[in-house]
Amino acid sequence: MLIMKNINKIFQTADIQTHALRDFCLQVNEGDFVSVTGPSGSGKTTFLNIAGLLETFSNGEFLLDGEDVGKLNDNGRSRMRNEKIGFIFQGFNLIPDLNLYDNVDVPLRYRGFNAKERKFRIEQNLERVGLASRMKHLPSQLSGGQQQRVAIARALATDPRFLLADEPTGNLDSEMAQSVMSLLEDINQQGTTIIMVTHDAQLAQRAKRTIQVKDGKVSELENISRQHNQAIA
Amino acid sequence: MFSYYLRLAWISILRHWGLSLLMICAIGLGIGAAMTTITVNYLMSANPIPEKSAQLYYVQLDSWDVNDPFDDGLNPPDQLTYTDSTNLMLAKQAFRQNVQTQAFGVIEPEDPEMLPLIVNGRANSADFFPMFNVPFIYGSGWSNKSDESKEFVVVLSKATNDKLFGGADSVGKSIKLEGNMLRVVGVIDNWQPKPRFYDITTGAFNDSEDVFVPFHLIADEKISRSGNTNCWKPSGDGFQAFLASECIWTQFWVELKTEQDKADYQQFLNAYVQEQKQFGRFQRPLDNRLSHVMQWLESQEVVADDAQMMMAMSLMFLLVCLLNTVGLLLAKFLGKAPEIGLRQALGASKRTLFSQYIIESACIGILGGLLGLTLAFIGLKSVESLYGDYMKGLASLDTNMAISAVVLALVSTILAGLYPTWRACNIQPAQQLKSQ
Amino acid sequence: MLETGLILRALARNKIGALLIALQIALTMTIMVNAIFMIQDRQQQMQRKSGLDEKNSFYLTNTVFGQDYNIQAHLQTDLHTIRNTPGVVDAIQINAIPLSSSGWSMALQHEPGEDKDAVGTAIYMVDDHAINSMGLTLVAGANFQPEDVELRKEGQSTWPAKTIITQAFAENLYPDNWQSAVGKTVYISQTQPIQIIGIVAALQAPWNGWNGVERSMLVPFQRESKGSYYFIRTEAGRRDELMPIIEKTLAESDKKRIIRRVTTIEDTRERSYRQHNATNKILTTVVITLTLITGFGIVGLAIFSINRRTKQIGTRRALGATKGQIMRYFMMENFIISTFGIIIGCFGAVALNMWLVNTFNLSPISFQLVAFGVITLFIVGQLAVLYPARKAAMIAPATATRTI
Ligand SMILES: Nc1ncnc2c1ncn2[C@@H]1O[C@H](COP(=O)(O)OP(=O)(O)O)[C@@H](O)[C@H]1O
Ligand SMILES: [Mg+2]
Repeated sequence: MLIMKNINKIFQTADIQTHALRDFCLQVNEGDFVSVTGPSGSGKTTFLNIAGLLETFSNGEFLLDGEDVGKLNDNGRSRMRNEKIGFIFQGFNLIPDLNLYDNVDVPLRYRGFNAKERKFRIEQNLERVGLASRMKHLPSQLSGGQQQRVAIARALATDPRFLLADEPTGNLDSEMAQSVMSLLEDINQQGTTIIMVTHDAQLAQRAKRTIQVKDGKVSELENISRQHNQAIA
Repeated sequence: MFSYYLRLAWISILRHWGLSLLMICAIGLGIGAAMTTITVNYLMSANPIPEKSAQLYYVQLDSWDVNDPFDDGLNPPDQLTYTDSTNLMLAKQAFRQNVQTQAFGVIEPEDPEMLPLIVNGRANSADFFPMFNVPFIYGSGWSNKSDESKEFVVVLSKATNDKLFGGADSVGKSIKLEGNMLRVVGVIDNWQPKPRFYDITTGAFNDSEDVFVPFHLIADEKISRSGNTNCWKPSGDGFQAFLASECIWTQFWVELKTEQDKADYQQFLNAYVQEQKQFGRFQRPLDNRLSHVMQWLESQEVVADDAQMMMAMSLMFLLVCLLNTVGLLLAKFLGKAPEIGLRQALGASKRTLFSQYIIESACIGILGGLLGLTLAFIGLKSVESLYGDYMKGLASLDTNMAISAVVLALVSTILAGLYPTWRACNIQPAQQLKSQ
Repeated sequence: MLETGLILRALARNKIGALLIALQIALTMTIMVNAIFMIQDRQQQMQRKSGLDEKNSFYLTNTVFGQDYNIQAHLQTDLHTIRNTPGVVDAIQINAIPLSSSGWSMALQHEPGEDKDAVGTAIYMVDDHAINSMGLTLVAGANFQPEDVELRKEGQSTWPAKTIITQAFAENLYPDNWQSAVGKTVYISQTQPIQIIGIVAALQAPWNGWNGVERSMLVPFQRESKGSYYFIRTEAGRRDELMPIIEKTLAESDKKRIIRRVTTIEDTRERSYRQHNATNKILTTVVITLTLITGFGIVGLAIFSINRRTKQIGTRRALGATKGQIMRYFMMENFIISTFGIIIGCFGAVALNMWLVNTFNLSPISFQLVAFGVITLFIVGQLAVLYPARKAAMIAPATATRTI
C-alpha cells in the first residue's frame, strides 16, 4: 500500500522556485493498476520519482508498505527500491555495455542473491517477456519494443511489489505499445501493483484506475475500469 | 573550411578545458623531459669538427701485457708509449701528425705585483693547429721546423693573453713558464670543441687549455706532465727510464686525406709493429687501429651512461604521456558520439569528420609542444645548475632543437589522435540513436 | 568481488580504453621501479664512508715554481708550521685526496712475477702522522714509525718496505682471515716485496665509481715533488676558522710557491657525488611527475567515462544500488585494470632492468622493490579513482527518468 499525504516538492534553481507538487495526496492499494495522465510539466514524473524513492520530497508524509519513507536515509531508500520497486523508463535505460542477461542481472546483484538464484530469475523473466533466446545480445541489437521488454524483465526480476513506469510506451509505435501494455496487464493480474505515467488516453483507459495530475495536484477521473474494479471489490 | 575546423577545435578545447589542460600538460611534460635529455645527448654526441672529422684519425697500438691484456683484450690501449709516438712522428707517413699530452705549470708574470698563474697546458706538435682548425686572433701556431730545432715557443689562449697582456697582440713577446722563457707565436681565439675530442682521456667536456707548448719541452723535462699514465711493466728510476718504458701517456693523431691514405697508413702501422716485435715488444696479436673522430668518440663512450639512461627513461616517459593522450582523446571523441551522429546525419562525410578531429588533436599537440619547449628550457637550466661544470655548455637549446620540440609534439599528438579520430569517424549514426 | 564478472564483461566492450590505462600503469611501474632502483643504488654509493674525519678536514695544494728550491726542507718547515698551529690536530703531505677523482693506483700480488694475478689499489704516500691526520681507525697491526718514512725522488721506481692497507683490501687478499694479513709480505710493482704492518678500518680510493673504491694502501713516502697536497685535520668545529689562517701563513712564509684550492673534504664529497646527486634529483622528479601524470590520466578518464555513463549510473541507483555499491564498482573497475597493468609492469620492470644490467652494468633489482612498485601503483590507482567514484556515487537516481 502506498499512501501520500500533502506531499510538496519544490525545485529550487538559481532564479526560480518550481512548485512541482502541491499538497499531493494519493492512496494506491495492493494490486491496483493506476495510470497517471496530465499535461506536460504538470508533475507526473516528479510524482513517480517520489513514489519510486528516486527523489526526496520537500514536506508531507509518504508511507510505502507501512514504512515512513521520509525517515529513510539514502542507503535505506536504495534497499527499498531494490526490494519493493521495479522501474520502467521511457528511454529503456538498458546498460549498453552489458548483454540482456547481464542487464537483468544488475538489480539481482544489488540484492545479493546467489548465482543459482540469479540465473533462475534472469532466465525466468526473460522467458516471460519472450526474449530468452536473445540473452547474449546487446541492447543495441534489439528493436525499441524488445528493449522495453528487457527493461520490464529487469524490473520484474526482483519480484517487486510495485512497478513504476514513466511513459513506457512513449518511444514505441502503437503496435509495440499495445504489446507492452498487454504485458503490464498480465503482470498486474499476477499481483504486482502498477503505477504508469502515460499521455496516451487510450492506453490510460486500460488501467483499473486513472488519475490526472494538474499543476502538481491530483484529480481522480472516473472511468469504466475503476467501476469495474470496485464491482469486483 | 580549415578555419571552421580550427574554430570547432578551439570551442571543443575550451568546452572540456579540464581534459584539454590535462592533455596539454601531459604532452608538455613528456616533450619537455624528452627534449631535455635528447638535447644533452645530442650535444654530447655532436660532431665537434664536422668539416674534417672523417680525415682525422686517432692511433691505437696494442703494446700491452700478453698476460693481462688491456680492456680484457677488447680494445687496444687508449694512449701510446713515448717510444712509439716519437717513432711515428719521425716516420712522417701521414699528411699531418701530432703527438700530445697534457701539461701544467706556473707562469711568473714580468710584473712583480702580479700573482703567479697556474695554467693547464697542452704539449703538442706543430701540426696540432692546422690539423684541428684552431682559430687564431694573433699570429699562428709554430712551424715543424721550430719543433725540429726545439725552439722555446708558446701559443696562448685568449683568456691567458687577456690576463697576461690585457688582450693586446703579444706575438713576439715572452712569458716565463716554469722558469723557461717562451716566445709567444700566436694567440688562439675562443676555441672550445664540445666534446673536446682531441683529448678525451682527461675529460671529454673539460675546457680547452690555457697554453700550448712544443712537445719537446716535456721530453726535455722543462715542464711537468699531467694527465693519465698507465703502466703494466715497472720502469727503472729516473725520467729517461720512464720515457723508454712501456707506460702509455701520449696521444697520437694523424690527418689522412683519402681512404687510400688511410689504408697505406694502416699498413705502415702494421709494418712498424712487426718490426718492433723483433725487439721483444708488442707480444699481443696485431691490433692497430685508426679511428676517425666520431668512431673514436663512440668507442670511448663519450656520451655518459647517465645521459643515455635518462634519455631512455624520458622517451618512455613521453610514451606514457602519449598513451595518456590517446586515452583522453578517445574518451573525448567517443563522448561526442551523439554530436558525431548528428553531424553525419547532417551530411558530414568521414573525411570531413576526420579532418575536424585531427585538427583538434594537432591544436592540442601544438599547445603541448609550446609548453614542452618552455619546460625543456627550464629542464636544461636545472640540468646545468644541478650538474655544474660537467654539463657546462651541454644544456642549451638551439633553434633546431626548439623546432624539433614542437614538431615532435605535433607529430606525436597527431599519431596519438589517429586512433581516437578513426574511432570517432566510424561511429554509426543509427547505432547512436538506438542505444541512447 | 561482487561484480567482478560484470565489470570484466563491461570492460571487454571497451577494451582499448582499459588497455590504454593498463599500459600507462605498466610503463609507469617499469620506469618507477627502475628509477627508484637507480636512486637507491646511488644513495648507497653516496652513503659509503670515506674513512676520513670529513667534518674537520681540509686540504690545499702547494705548487712550487721557483727554480733551485729546496723542496724537502720547505716541506719539513711547512708541516712543522701547520702541526703547531693551535687548533690543528695533525697534518700530512699526501699525493692524492680520497673522493677527489684523481690519484695513483698500483697493484699488489701474493707472489712475485710478471704473470701473477694482482689486485688493484689506490696508493697514498704519507708519513707516520697519516692515521691521526686523516682520522683513520687502526684495527690491526701498528702504525708507521718516523724512521720508516723515506724520501721519494721524482720518477723513483722503488717502494718502501712497509705498508698499511684497508680492511676491505685485506679481506680481498686474505678472504679466509683478513687479520692474518698483518705481517705478511706481498709484492708491489710485480717484484718488490712490501710488508703489511697494519690494517685500517676504511679509507676510500679517489675514484668513487671504481669497484675497488674501498681498496687503498698507505706507504711511508714523503715526496720531493713540485706539486703536492697538504691534508689537515682540525679540532672539532675549528676547520672553517683555520682554513684561511693556514692558507695565509703558508702563502706568506714563502713566495716561491702557490697555495691553491683550499678545499674541505665535505666540498670534495659534494663535488665527487654531484653527478649522482643531480641524477637522483632528476630521477626523483621523473618518478613523481610520471606518477602524477598517470594518476591524473586515470582521474580524467574516469571522470569522462562517468560523465558518459551518467544515465547508466542513475539507472543502477534506481534499480537499488547504494552509493557504496556505485563507488565500489568504479574502484573495482580500476583495481582490475590496475592488476592488468601491474602484471605487465612487473615484466616490463624486469625487462628494463635486464637491459640496464647489460648496457650499464647495473645489478639486478630486488623483489622488494618490485613489490613496492606493485603496492604503490595499486594505491595510486585507487586514490586517483576515488574522486571520480565519489562523483559517480553522487549522481541522483532521478537522472534515470530525467535524462533522455
Ligand atoms: N530537477 C529539476 N529542477 C527544477 N525544476 C524541475 C526539475 N525537475 C522537474 N522540474 C520542474 O518541475 C515541474 C514538473 O516536472 P515533471 O514532473 O517532469 O513534469 P511531467 O513529467 O508531468 O512532464 C516542471 O515545471 C519542471 O520544469
Ligand atoms: Mg515526465
